[in-house]
Amino acid sequence: MSTTRVDGVTRRYAGALFELAFARGALDAVQADVERLGRELSSPAIGAYLFDTRVPHAERRSKLEPVLAGMHQLMQNFVGLLFDKRREAVLLNLSAAFHERRLLLDRAAEGVVESAVPLGEAELSKLAAALSRVMDKTLHLENRVTPDLIAGVRVVADNRMIDFSARGRLDGLRRTMLSSPLPSAASSA
Amino acid sequence: MDLRASEVTSILEKEIENYQGESDMRSVGTVLSVGDGVSRVWGLEDCMMNELLEFPGGVRGVALNLEEDNVGCVLLGNASKVKEGDTVRTTGRIISVPTGPSLLGRVVNALGDPVDGRGPLSVTEADYLPIEQPAPSVVERQPVDTPLQTGIKAIDAMIPIGRGQRELIIGDRQTGKTALLTDTIISQKNTGGGDPDNPEQVICIYVAMGQKQSTVVDVVQKLEAQGAMPYTIVVSASAMDEASMQYLAAYAGATMGERFRDEGRDVVIMYDDLYKQALAYRQVMLLLRRPPGREAFPGDVFNLHSRLLERAARLADNAPEINPRFKKGGGSLTALPVVETQEGDVSAYIPTNVISITDGQIFLESNLFNAGVRPAVNAGISVSRVGGAAQIPAMKKIAGGLRLDLATYRELQAFAQFGSDLDKATQKVLTRGEKLVEILKQGQYVPMKVEDQIMVIYAGTSGGLDDLATSKVPAFEKAFLAHMQDNYPDVGTTIREEKKVSDEVKKLLDEALAAVKPQFA
Ligand SMILES: Nc1ncnc2c1ncn2[C@@H]1O[C@H](COP(=O)(O)OP(=O)(O)OP(=O)(O)O)[C@@H](O)[C@H]1O
Ligand SMILES: [Mg+2]
Repeated sequence: MSTTRVDGVTRRYAGALFELAFARGALDAVQADVERLGRELSSPAIGAYLFDTRVPHAERRSKLEPVLAGMHQLMQNFVGLLFDKRREAVLLNLSAAFHERRLLLDRAAEGVVESAVPLGEAELSKLAAALSRVMDKTLHLENRVTPDLIAGVRVVADNRMIDFSARGRLDGLRRTMLSSPLPSAASSA
Repeated sequence: MDLRASEVTSILEKEIENYQGESDMRSVGTVLSVGDGVSRVWGLEDCMMNELLEFPGGVRGVALNLEEDNVGCVLLGNASKVKEGDTVRTTGRIISVPTGPSLLGRVVNALGDPVDGRGPLSVTEADYLPIEQPAPSVVERQPVDTPLQTGIKAIDAMIPIGRGQRELIIGDRQTGKTALLTDTIISQKNTGGGDPDNPEQVICIYVAMGQKQSTVVDVVQKLEAQGAMPYTIVVSASAMDEASMQYLAAYAGATMGERFRDEGRDVVIMYDDLYKQALAYRQVMLLLRRPPGREAFPGDVFNLHSRLLERAARLADNAPEINPRFKKGGGSLTALPVVETQEGDVSAYIPTNVISITDGQIFLESNLFNAGVRPAVNAGISVSRVGGAAQIPAMKKIAGGLRLDLATYRELQAFAQFGSDLDKATQKVLTRGEKLVEILKQGQYVPMKVEDQIMVIYAGTSGGLDDLATSKVPAFEKAFLAHMQDNYPDVGTTIREEKKVSDEVKKLLDEALAAVKPQFA
C-alpha cells in the first residue's frame, strides 16, 4: 500500500491528466510515462536539482527535457504547463496520485493485513477475496506482522479499518467497561 | 499457545460472511502533528463535525476543523500519549454527555464525568445525548408567559424574566454577576420546596467556564449550605481545564437542561461566563489555524453563542405531536448568560454579539456597586423585552409606579447637584427616590418571595416611607415583613393567589405601615 500523502493540488492536476489520457485512450502509455518520470525524479541527480530553488527556473526546466523526450505528447504538455504555472512540485507525488486514480477506475484498493503471525499466500488471497465482496472492490492485500495483536487480523484498506484482532476486542471491552453505567443500570448497555 | 494462521482465516471467513456492513467499518486516519492539545489527522474521510475520535491508548478527541485532506481536532485527556503516525479512528458518535435526574446535586465536567468524588452516575447508554442539538423550531415553541422569580426585588419588579427567555447579565468584574445567579438558584427553592421530584420545582444548571477553581468551590458550598444543590447541576470547566473543555461545557450543560425541558419541566441554565468561553474558543481555533477575524476571534464566534442561546425556549403544549423528540410539552429552558465587560465597554465585539441574541440585558455597574447599591443593577438602561408579559398583575401594577418614580428621581438628581433651593415638589421626588433606591438594595443569599417584594415595594411607592430616615429603611423593611407575617399571615397568600393587590389588602398594608413606623421615628 502506498503511504504517500497526496495533497489536493497534486490530486487535481493528476486527475486532469488522467481524464484526458483516458479520453484519448492513452491511459496505459501515459501511466508508464508518469511512472518512469517518478523513477527519474527519485534519482538524486535530477530530483535534488529540480526542486532546488537556488537554480534558475529555466535551467531546471531544461534539465528535464532529455527525460521528457520520447514521452507521450500529453505528458510533455502537462510538464510544460506545470512549469509555466510554477507548480513543478506536483511532480513529486504525481505517480502516487495517478496510481490512486487508476485504482479508483479499476474499482480496486490496496491495503495491509496486520496479523500476529505471518499469513501464507493462500490465506492472504482468501481473505482478499472475502473482503473484496464486502467492500465491493478488488482488494490487493499485503501482510504485516504485528505481534501486539495477539491473534486474528486487522485490515486497513481504502481509509477504513476492520478489526478482527484479539487486541481490538480487548480494547473494545476495556472501553465498554470504562464507559458503561453502574451494574444496576447496565442491562441496556 | 500456538495460533495457526489457517484457523484464524477460517474463523475470519465466517465473520466476514456475517459482516454487519458499514457500521463495523470505521474510517481511519494518521496523526500528522500533535501539540498544545490539538492534533491534525490525515485521512478520516467521512468524519463528522464534533465527532468523537479514538486515538491509541484510550485518548479521545473531537473533530472540529474538517478540511480537504485533513481534520483538526482537540484532544480530551492525556495528549502526551499521542504521537505522530498513530492511527486514529472515527467512532460514528457525536460527542455526548449523560443526562437525567441522577445528575442533580452533582458537580460534573464538560464530558459529564463527576468531579465531586461522590462516585459514578447511574445512567444508561440511552441517557447519553449529543451536546449539539437543534433548537426547537417556531411551531414547537409558545410565547413566554410564566415568570421566573429571581427573588431579587430590583429584577423581579423592573426587569422581569419569563420562563424560556434569554436574559443577559452584563457588567465589569466584581460587580455581583455570580452572586445574582446563585441567588436566583436559591430562590427557585420556593417553586417546589427544593424537591427535584416535584414537577413544580424549577431545575437549575450552573455552567462555570474559565472561572477560578476557588470560585466554583465557593458557589457549590453556598448552594449546599442553602439547600439548593438537590435540584441543581453544576458543570465545571475551570481555568485550569483544557480550553476545549471550557468552551464545550456550555453545550454539555444545555443538553442536560434540554433533557428536563423535553420532559415538561422548567429549567434555568446559567452560563458564567460567555466572554471567557469565547476566549477559550479563540484559543482552540487559533491553535487549529482557523483564520482570525475581529479581535482575533474566529469568524463563527457569533454562531458559537447564537446556536447555544437559541436552545432556550418555552415548548408548545403540543410539541410532542409535532416532534416525537419531545416527551411532554410545556417545558422551558431559560438561559441567563453572563458576559464580563472590560471597563464598562458594552460596544466590544462579544458584548454586542450577545446583546443582539438575547431578549434583554441586566446591566451591573461598578460605580453603583462601590457606592453600596447592591445588587448594582442600572435599572435605567436594563431591559427585558418579553418578561413583562410574564409578570403577575399585582407586581406589574406596583412596579410600574416604581420605574416612573425612579426615572424622575434620577433626572432631578442631576439638577439637584447644582441648585440648593429646591421647591417642595422636587424635594418630595428626591426623598421618595432615595427611599426607593434603599428598598431595592438586597443582601446576598436572601431571595425574597414575590408577595413579600410586593408588600415592600408598596410601602415605598405609596409614600409610606417618605418621612423615615433613609438609614432606617433596611431595619424597617425587616420589621414590616415580620409584622405582616405575625399579624396578617393571610395577606401574602392572598396577593400570590389573587395576583393583585385589592383595596382591602392595601388598607391592611397601610395599617401595618402605620403600626411599625413609630419604632423607627
Ligand atoms: N447583593 C450583594 N450584597 C453584598 N455583597 C455582594 C452582593 N452581591 C455580591 N456581593 C459581593 O461582591 C463580591 C463580588 O461578587 P461576585 O463574585 O458575584 O461578582 P462577579 O461579577 O461575579 O465577579 P467576577 O468578575 O470575579 O466573576 C463578592 O464578594 C460578593 O460576596
Ligand atoms: Mg463571577
